[in-house]
Amino acid sequence: MSGALSALRTSVFIGLRQLWERKLLNGIAVGGVTLGVLVLIAMSAIMEGFEQKFTQAILKISPHVILFDTELHAERPLLERYERTRVAAAVSHESPPDRQARIKRPHEIVATLGGVPEVAAAAESIAGMGLLEFGGKTKSIDVRGIEVRAQDAVTPVSQYVKAGALAALETETEGLAVGSGVAQELGLSVGDVVHATAPGGRPLDLKIVAVFEAEIPPVDKTRAYTSLRTAQTLLGRADSISRIEIRLVDPDVAPRVNTALERMFGYDGESWQESNANFLSIFAMQDMVVSFVIAAILLVGGFGILAIQIMIVLQKTRDIAILRSVGLRRRDILRVFLLQGVVIALVGGALGDGLGKLAIHYLGQLKVKAEGLVKTDTFLVREDTRFYVYGLAFALLVGVVASLIPAWRGSRVEPVEVLRGQIG
Amino acid sequence: MGRSDDAPARPRAVSEDDVVDVRGLVRALGDRAAPTTILHGLSFTIPRGEFVALTGASGSGKSTLLYLLGALDRASAGEVWLDGMELGELDDDDRAAFRNERLGYVFQFHFLLPEFTVLENVLIPMLRRGTIARSEAEDRGYDALRMLGLEELFARKPGQISGGQQQRVAIARAVAHDPAVILADEPTGNLDSRNAETVFGVFARLAREQGRTIVMVTHDVDFARRADRQIRLRDGRIVEDTLHGPVPASRA
Repeated sequence: MSGALSALRTSVFIGLRQLWERKLLNGIAVGGVTLGVLVLIAMSAIMEGFEQKFTQAILKISPHVILFDTELHAERPLLERYERTRVAAAVSHESPPDRQARIKRPHEIVATLGGVPEVAAAAESIAGMGLLEFGGKTKSIDVRGIEVRAQDAVTPVSQYVKAGALAALETETEGLAVGSGVAQELGLSVGDVVHATAPGGRPLDLKIVAVFEAEIPPVDKTRAYTSLRTAQTLLGRADSISRIEIRLVDPDVAPRVNTALERMFGYDGESWQESNANFLSIFAMQDMVVSFVIAAILLVGGFGILAIQIMIVLQKTRDIAILRSVGLRRRDILRVFLLQGVVIALVGGALGDGLGKLAIHYLGQLKVKAEGLVKTDTFLVREDTRFYVYGLAFALLVGVVASLIPAWRGSRVEPVEVLRGQIG
Repeated sequence: MGRSDDAPARPRAVSEDDVVDVRGLVRALGDRAAPTTILHGLSFTIPRGEFVALTGASGSGKSTLLYLLGALDRASAGEVWLDGMELGELDDDDRAAFRNERLGYVFQFHFLLPEFTVLENVLIPMLRRGTIARSEAEDRGYDALRMLGLEELFARKPGQISGGQQQRVAIARAVAHDPAVILADEPTGNLDSRNAETVFGVFARLAREQGRTIVMVTHDVDFARRADRQIRLRDGRIVEDTLHGPVPASRA
């Protein structure tokens, strides 16, 4: 209908002109929205940047799912199954070493995992605590006995090797690859021979073949890799496999796959999300706090629009009366002020988006020295189109909601009351 | 505005040429328990093309009557027929549309929109209606400004022209869309005598040369005498209704 269109055009014409003629006031309202959107984008970029970096850090050296050597439904001993008395069950021929937990038939499990579509790679390994001695210093370490190639497909340690070569573990029977933190603390370099011991195992002299640095301090400061056989000897657990580490095609589905694998193999498993639940829950909490802060700032921006628009509506009562007396409907007036709120919001949102992009750029170049969970020398930020869309969408929402009250008020102006007041 | 279709069923104005037909008009203000009656059952008609001066002391109800004629206020009782429509039957939107299409207002305090140019102020009512293209509306706006000797000021803002000029712009706004009735509320009340004379002259010309129907509230005795007809109110009642000037053709 041309009537409705011309009415809309008239409202837009009036609304935009009035907005433009009050650049200072409306500029302040725009500034409030801009600030809100800027904070939204910058905070989101920082939060997600750190989370993403942390997640990447976890995932670059940690498997997505680990199967441990704890059986979920341990089979009862034969005797106990057939003799229902406690006495029978208590009679045992097993000696303690035999009762050590381990994963039975690990090769079959790995082979089966190869057929699971979600699984990208799987590797068997053994883990235990050991002690390194070198030059009068000792350091406790987390020893991992691995099959180099299989393990590298799951957790690409070789990518982070700083000196030497991880592959040397395959040829050097008594070789050891240590984290950069371990090497630094003991003063080790490639070619040195360290004395390694572990409770219940046989002490070995191991030659350092590689030093790696994953830039995750907790790993770099404690971990050492050796061949599976060497680790089994050192830890005194011949032929034992204590864990199967798995890499998935999509790390996000790890919890679901983990549950399925637990049911399939009967061993206790853990997804990377479970392993890092404490950090992830901190992030979740932090996300919530930041969301509140952003919401509060946008709310303040909304109140800015509200206050300024209310003021304008009050100042414009006479003009509204004229417009009504020359034939504008209530809804035309409503639209004039709603439109102004929307324009303020969109301009503020767009400016906020632009400044947000700049902020992300400069924050990303900010030099910081951080060595905690992750090691970095620049501020961790992440840019995502989503932030800009959210910024604009929230601005729009705030603008519309904030201008509803002033617009409604403006539309309720009775021209005859204004005229009566003027003529008195 | 489909309600006008019902109109013939009701008693119509005496003459088809009566643009204004007021019957038993009552307007009371204030709370329902103790209302103050401002207009006590007024009845009169105004034929098309008549220039009527509405006079009376402050508080006599002349402005209230003008708002009622202008579909800005609602009657407490009685009927106001304007150009064939009973205003009491129109809802808020219909009354706005009626004002937009059939009426032209001039107020005491020129009441232009400060953000818009002279020409834009004249155009806004026509733009809202949207029945003619913008270019045609601009032509009409220019014509109205030219008639009032303002064509050179079309691009100025109201703040950049004099009070008398502003009031003439307001008149241009009121006539540009060819309304059935022009309503003016003390249009000269806020002007010095020279400007007042100019503005009154414009109304007189609109009446004589273009045959416009004009109802003008005024305090000025001289202007009131120079109109075709003077209706004087006192305490909400008509106390005088005099024909002076050239009687419009329809009344002859």
